[in-house]
Amino acid sequence: MTRALYNAARTGLSEILAHKTRSTLSFLAIAAGSVVFIDAFSAIVATYARLESQKQVSGMARMKISQNHSQTWSNPDDYVAPPVITYDDVLRLRERVPGLFMVSPEADSWRNVMEYDGHRVVARVAGVTPEWRKRDFVYDLKGRFLDWHDVDQKLRVCVLIRPAPPEPANAFFKSMRKKYDFMGGYDMLVTHNDLLGRTVKLDGINFTVIGVLDELPPSRKPPRIWWSGSDYKVLAPVTTLMHYNILRSHDSLDVAIDAGDEKGFDEAMRLVRNFLKVRYGDEDFFVVENQMDAIKESMARNISSSLVTISLGMLAFIAGGIGIMNVTLATVFARTKEIGVRRAIGASRGDIMLQFIVEAVMLGLIGGLLGTALGWFWGVPAKVMLGMTPSPIKVWMPLVSVFIAALTAFVFAIYPAWVAAGLKPAEALRAE
Amino acid sequence: MIICRDLHKTYEGGKTGWPALRGLTFSIDRGEFVAVTGPSGCGKSTLLNILGLLDEPSCGSYALDGLDAARMSDNERSAARLHRIGFVFQAFHLLNRLSALENVCLPLMYAGEGKEDMRRRAHDLLARVGLKGKERKTPLELSGGERQRVAIARALANSPRLLLADEPTGNLDSSSSREVMDILLGLAGEGMTVVMVTHDRELAARAGRNIRMRDGEIESPSGRGRPGPQDGEK
Repeated sequence: MTRALYNAARTGLSEILAHKTRSTLSFLAIAAGSVVFIDAFSAIVATYARLESQKQVSGMARMKISQNHSQTWSNPDDYVAPPVITYDDVLRLRERVPGLFMVSPEADSWRNVMEYDGHRVVARVAGVTPEWRKRDFVYDLKGRFLDWHDVDQKLRVCVLIRPAPPEPANAFFKSMRKKYDFMGGYDMLVTHNDLLGRTVKLDGINFTVIGVLDELPPSRKPPRIWWSGSDYKVLAPVTTLMHYNILRSHDSLDVAIDAGDEKGFDEAMRLVRNFLKVRYGDEDFFVVENQMDAIKESMARNISSSLVTISLGMLAFIAGGIGIMNVTLATVFARTKEIGVRRAIGASRGDIMLQFIVEAVMLGLIGGLLGTALGWFWGVPAKVMLGMTPSPIKVWMPLVSVFIAALTAFVFAIYPAWVAAGLKPAEALRAE
Repeated sequence: MIICRDLHKTYEGGKTGWPALRGLTFSIDRGEFVAVTGPSGCGKSTLLNILGLLDEPSCGSYALDGLDAARMSDNERSAARLHRIGFVFQAFHLLNRLSALENVCLPLMYAGEGKEDMRRRAHDLLARVGLKGKERKTPLELSGGERQRVAIARALANSPRLLLADEPTGNLDSSSSREVMDILLGLAGEGMTVVMVTHDRELAARAGRNIRMRDGEIESPSGRGRPGPQDGEK
């Protein structure tokens, strides 16, 4: 059997080499299928990898309370302004639902003015507590972060967020950035000045910079799906900002909550809703969003787009398979006499079938290998050159893709091989 | 070795079909050298195809070595062609892509011989037909006579007991024809049964027995063969 396979492979290879154009055309379609498959597989893997790193960074038991503004659009006569969540409310929530891993109040003002050394820039200032850094903390910290003392004493201290330097590979975007100055004044100011320990003015009030958070470069930054507050530029104790009216005291706080683990999530959600109901009379004043839902939805979107790609790959494989079937049939007719000769000297139907199937599978294998090489080239160097994120290509992807290519060729070669094996020896010998 | 009774072969076509063989009955003993002669279209090649298990008769029976051909499965027929029968064709039917050695190796490969045995046997056979030193040449690099000798070596690869030759000298000049004929006679002398279809009366005269055919029937048996048990036409 091994010997027969070896000989069939040898004959197949010499046939493939003898008809280079025909062979090339027939395995190109298979190769296209492989490229698409590898791309789709790596997209799916990337989606899961992103989810994994999100789990690490954001936690999987996250929820967020914010005011329900949907009523704003209802009949003005019925409108009841939702109550405001104050810092005291947050402290009470902490007390009432003690098991929570994180209860982080956040409030921000869209447009504040930061002044330093004669520069006046616009900065988005957010009021937070030390809990803020428990999740989604994707920065390198210089100096220190806010502590409870700062919050309790309403100290005028702040932490600045400094943008990551642009990726070195991104020459195109670098030049664009230079040309159009995508970086705002704030980014320029904090990039070019070391403000740690200095005093800056926020809306005219002096704050001491106690820490600088360096954003991780895009390549090292774990992706986030949902809310993140990543546009914040300046972080200060929420109490201080309220006290100095940098945040208006009638602004409601949003509360980001992490229940700690997925198992306790539903119970935590129930307790939080209950707390809102008891404290404000109606939980519908607030929206309690569940991060899992958002992640699931985003996953489903990603997966379904990958499935579309995979089905395109399938179509390419089927087209390639039909190409191989066509070529194999043509080969069978071109080599009818040879089939007759082989049958006359003792080859069985199985021998003939094996020969044509092996030949087709070799075409499939070559196509699969070529497609894998192209898929890798597209997924890694080409994407890097184009400034895209390279696809994560795992060892199994080329293997699976080559296997599918060979399997497709095998399936589509069965019919022509069967035709070849079914030729009557005497008639085949008479063929011209 | 070969017993045929009332062999008919009708090819499809037209209303009634076209009869190529019309009731042949004869037998051939082991070690005989039989020449089948007759004008073109008289059914010689059809007969040879049936004897070689390449084709099946429309009716009648054919037994090879006591085995009824009608009862053989396709695989059994293949196996019989592989081990019991050797073919030599007028057009050689060598695979031009392969060397002389590889052509001779083909039946050995289908028989599942090991690589070394296969090569040794193929070398011996080529030497036996006088082609030592030309093993690496492809058929296109060989003369007609040499090609036919490669074909004979291939036919002998699995030591068959029956050699079927369809106009083996039809494409050869007279000296090559003589060489090929000498080889066939030598084989018959060693006890191999040889059935040769030919136009050439001179060659036919060198065979032990002649079966002359006309219009799908046996016209006259001649030669030194003994009369068969039922058929007077041997």
